[in-house]
Amino acid sequence: MKRIWVVIVNVIIMIAMLTFVVLYSDYESGKNSKRQIEHFENTTITMKHVTENYLEGEQRICDVWARYINSEDMTIEEAVSFIRISHVLPNASVHIVYLDTLSGLSTKARQDAPDNFSVSYASMDFLNDVSWIDQIGNSINVTRAYTNPVNGEQSIAFCNSITLHDTATGNPRDAILLRILPIAELEEKWIFPKEEFANAELSMIDADGDYIIKGHSYKNSNLFEFYKSYNAVDTASQELFAEITSSTGSATMKNSRGEECILAFTPIAATEGWTLLSLMPMKDLSVNTENWLLIWFVSVGLLLLFVFDLTVMLYFNKKLQLTAKEAAAANKAKTDFLSTMSHDIRTPMNAIIGLTTITEKNLGDTKAVQENLRKITMASNHLLTLINDILDISKVESGKLNFCPQTFSVVETVENLVNLSQPMIKEKNIEFNFRISRIDVEYIYADQLRLNQIYINILSNAIKYTEPGGSVSVDMREEESQKPGCVRLTFVVSDTGIGMSPEYMATLYQPFSRQTDSRVNSIQGTGLGLAITKQMVDLLGGTIDCQSEQGKGTTFTVTLDLPVADRQRDDMTLEPMDVLVVDDDEILLETAVDTLESLGVQADRAGSGPEALGMIRRRHEAGRDYRIVILDWKMPDVDGVETIRRIRAEADRDVPILLISAYDWSEIEDKAKEAGANGFVSKPLFRSTLYDKINEILGTTASSVEPENDYSDLQGLNVLVAEDNDINWEIISTILDMYGITAERAENGRICVEKMKAAAKDSYDLVFMDIQMPEMNGLDATRTIRALDDPWASSIPIVAMTADAFSENVTECLNAGMNGHIAKPIDVKLVIKEIRRIKEEKK
Amino acid sequence: MKKPLITLLLVCVLVTLLAACSKTKDDADAVFEPALDTETSCNVTVVGSYDNFEALEAEFDRFNEYYPNVRLRYVKLDDYNNTLAAALDGNDKPNVFFSNAGMIGNRKYDAVFAHMEDLSDPALKLNLGCIRPGLVNRDAENRVLMVPVFSRTYGMLINYDLFEKEGFSVPTTREELTAVCAAFKEKGYASPMMGYSKTSSSCLMYTVAYPMFAAALAENPDALAKANALDPAAGEYMRPALETVAQLIGSGCVDLAECDKIEDNYTKVILRFFEGDVPMMICAGDTVSGTKKRESQSEAFSNAPFRYAFAPIPLTAEGGYFIDSPSVEFSVNKDCDNLDMTNEFMRFLISKKELNEMASVKRLVTPTADLSFDTVYAPFGNVPASRTVSPEMIGITDPLTVQIRIAAFKVGKGELTVDQAVGAYGSLE
Repeated sequence: MKRIWVVIVNVIIMIAMLTFVVLYSDYESGKNSKRQIEHFENTTITMKHVTENYLEGEQRICDVWARYINSEDMTIEEAVSFIRISHVLPNASVHIVYLDTLSGLSTKARQDAPDNFSVSYASMDFLNDVSWIDQIGNSINVTRAYTNPVNGEQSIAFCNSITLHDTATGNPRDAILLRILPIAELEEKWIFPKEEFANAELSMIDADGDYIIKGHSYKNSNLFEFYKSYNAVDTASQELFAEITSSTGSATMKNSRGEECILAFTPIAATEGWTLLSLMPMKDLSVNTENWLLIWFVSVGLLLLFVFDLTVMLYFNKKLQLTAKEAAAANKAKTDFLSTMSHDIRTPMNAIIGLTTITEKNLGDTKAVQENLRKITMASNHLLTLINDILDISKVESGKLNFCPQTFSVVETVENLVNLSQPMIKEKNIEFNFRISRIDVEYIYADQLRLNQIYINILSNAIKYTEPGGSVSVDMREEESQKPGCVRLTFVVSDTGIGMSPEYMATLYQPFSRQTDSRVNSIQGTGLGLAITKQMVDLLGGTIDCQSEQGKGTTFTVTLDLPVADRQRDDMTLEPMDVLVVDDDEILLETAVDTLESLGVQADRAGSGPEALGMIRRRHEAGRDYRIVILDWKMPDVDGVETIRRIRAEADRDVPILLISAYDWSEIEDKAKEAGANGFVSKPLFRSTLYDKINEILGTTASSVEPENDYSDLQGLNVLVAEDNDINWEIISTILDMYGITAERAENGRICVEKMKAAAKDSYDLVFMDIQMPEMNGLDATRTIRALDDPWASSIPIVAMTADAFSENVTECLNAGMNGHIAKPIDVKLVIKEIRRIKEEKK
Repeated sequence: MKKPLITLLLVCVLVTLLAACSKTKDDADAVFEPALDTETSCNVTVVGSYDNFEALEAEFDRFNEYYPNVRLRYVKLDDYNNTLAAALDGNDKPNVFFSNAGMIGNRKYDAVFAHMEDLSDPALKLNLGCIRPGLVNRDAENRVLMVPVFSRTYGMLINYDLFEKEGFSVPTTREELTAVCAAFKEKGYASPMMGYSKTSSSCLMYTVAYPMFAAALAENPDALAKANALDPAAGEYMRPALETVAQLIGSGCVDLAECDKIEDNYTKVILRFFEGDVPMMICAGDTVSGTKKRESQSEAFSNAPFRYAFAPIPLTAEGGYFIDSPSVEFSVNKDCDNLDMTNEFMRFLISKKELNEMASVKRLVTPTADLSFDTVYAPFGNVPASRTVSPEMIGITDPLTVQIRIAAFKVGKGELTVDQAVGAYGSLE
């Protein structure tokens, strides 16, 4: 449904609801209004009864007087005297006037003439015709409001016809008795009784609409004229006027302020055509307030709901659009990924298959076979790297990448790093420097595998993208960390490689991003390395920074806060001795001297071979030979080997000399030994490395160097391999055989367990256990073996050898009781290293 | 160079200040600023002889916008002239009461005058300047005891649409009047000029004659003195007025037979005019006051409304007279309760805005200098001062008016000749 339709439907619903609320409120308001008006009418009727009672009461007094006067044949003076005696109300008065002259006497004198009691009604219209005055006791005979001719007060008068004795003629003379009450007094009492009708005002009108008593809000002297002045006049108005003077009811009209008012009317039965009126502004009925409040509340509520819904809808729409875009992008990414993968996997596979085919056809050509196998190995390694990277990136992106921290040596990590990079460095003839700044903490507690991966990725990129003859330098320094229990390791790799464009820098860490450059295209890479590295650094809470200039080189800086392991090397202190360090690299010289001095020795420095030669010679002549000389192999003019040769020839034949190399020294080993070198040490010069090497040279501790090509220690070992795959079995058994290790196969976990149960003590030295196998997997098999009663069998070293290569798989294996983990495809060196490690532990 | 610049600046400042002052004066008249506590709660009663006074009641409502708790009411006193004094002395003393020039000099009203407050007292801050000077009467002590709220004049209602329909111009001189009456007669109008003629009270003859007589007396103080003294010698001054009456009737401008069909001098006069076939209806300003309300009551006017106005009757070669008399005047009872609020109400009421507003509602002639706000009375605003007569100011008394009224009525009716009427001055009843 289009958005506009949703809005329209919402608006229609809102309008419908509001219409309902308005109509309902109006209905309720109408009902309420009707009730209020009825209540108002009823109150008016009540007031009518009160008024009638009052009028009747007042009239009755007048009647009593009239009857008495008539019965006593009084003169006007006597009648007035009688009334003065009977009359108790202070503000009321009585007038008696002869009907023929409309003049007579008042019970009260004029204020300006205290002796003057005369009164005249000749100018008053209402006594010209007295037919409205009924027989005594028959009805209420009350005048309209008029001006009391004696005191000028607005008053009403209750009247009765009386007959007096005329002293002049001796005959009866008709007169009118007027019992006069001031309107002001009446108005004070005559108010609406209900509080809710406080603003209601009463009036009384006669049959013509003229006010008898007029409330404040009533204008004009006539109600109908008042109505006409402020309301539209039509035939309905005339009908209304007739209704007002003849029935009980109510009507609406506007007052002089233009306010809508309710006018209630009811005839006063006891009088001749009089009507009682109540007038009140409609707003004082307080009918609509709540309803409008309700309408406003509902309106605002609906509006808010509408706006909220619209906002939410727009938000979700946007989100959906975004999700759709993301899905499309993900789909495209998947397609791109598959396409890239297809390409990247097929390329090395093509090399493997093609070279295998070529090799098969040239089995006789040993050289060609060797070359092809070397290329196949390279392609296989690349393929393996690609697969590992893909798995890593998918784990990182799915958030399933877990870290398995363990205690390991930074020195080992660096050595590993240097060793791994050596072949490429040598191949590309790159100048390589690895400097460290006083690494005090050797053992840290972290995921070694991932840390290696980070460092290797960055270093291998630097080497890969540095052209032959360029240089790559690594600086590693240890700093104080802000995190408690951690050290900050900063790893800086600088190269003089091809560098990166600013545009590419923006997408540097995105998967499969590789710079478009003819030089880059010739370099193998998955485009995943940096993406993985960045994610891992982020997950480890570290930072990665890249500075690069196209054509000039790149510098990557990785900073990680890593927990310090509980286990550290014991205090490393050498006996006091003089040592000479020789290197043309000032920084290395400085670092080495600093490290040596931290080990407790006196270190002198020399910047070149000849300088060192001179210093050794002088010392020798002075009989204060250096206990050891540590010199760099690669130095300008005179290299390390030549310097050794000269030292031996010209200065000191016996001083122990350690040759430093950033590279694998195997190629110069023979030459150096021949020249007189006593040992070799790799850059960078860790404290522990120097400590161990100096002790070894001086014969203070046994050498811990592994024999490089001596595998005799492995001879005679018997290994049980649990492997269901025939090819894998063939590979591992062949490899092991190459090193003089015998192997027995168990086709699955169950067989492996049975073999272990059946085996005599020490018949196997180690078990290589595949994980995914039929009948019983490797984990269950391990647990079963660990549960065996035979202490030998239950404690036999078991190393996983599996294609389940993730760290959680490693953890799983260790948790099941295994002693190690080797991922497939197997690295022979790792297998041998693992066997040796197990062997060492056994000791 | 600097001197002219400074002079120019000073002139600008002066002009601005003068403009500001002038504006301030106008504003003072236009905007009422309450001087008392606006929360004051009290009663103020105005008594008068009008049966109803909605125009004043509308003023009450406006005053209540400033003082919402003041309850003002208008009360008609029965037999006003006889009960007023008693009311002023009574328990429920009125605050404001109607007064009129006729009370001046009449001993009957001594008690009434005793209650009157001097409204020219500067402390009261009444804006008497907004009233036309000829209407404000000062006593021997230079006090102003009564302030006019309406004025009265005499003239004729003119049906402009009828003049337009027949292609005639509204007459502005005696000659034009005669000519246009003849023209209307020719067009078949039985009585181009009409008016009430059944009794002498407010009859058309008096309305025609009185302005001329008053103007004649205004020019001759001796004659005025004699006329006030009802000296028969003053009768001669009535002659031109009576001759004019006789001439208008005699020439057919006024058909008395038609006029006699009008049964009263107020409503019926108006309703007859609203029939739409009378070009000119002679009447007093008091009658014109009823026109507004009766427009809707006249079926003929409702069906065919027309433009009309009230103008002086052009009885001379120069035009007509504007008899400018106070109609209703207000006095304040200085012995009443809430005198402060009463004076505050008077201060509110005596302003051009409120007096004009009240005159507009009542459709009476406003006592203020501005007559233009009501198109019906606007023609009187064009009458020059030379033809404006303020009878009360020159000292015309009621007995004098009675003589001219009866004389004009009888001459018009043919009961007396002009000579007889002139000779009977002072004894006409």
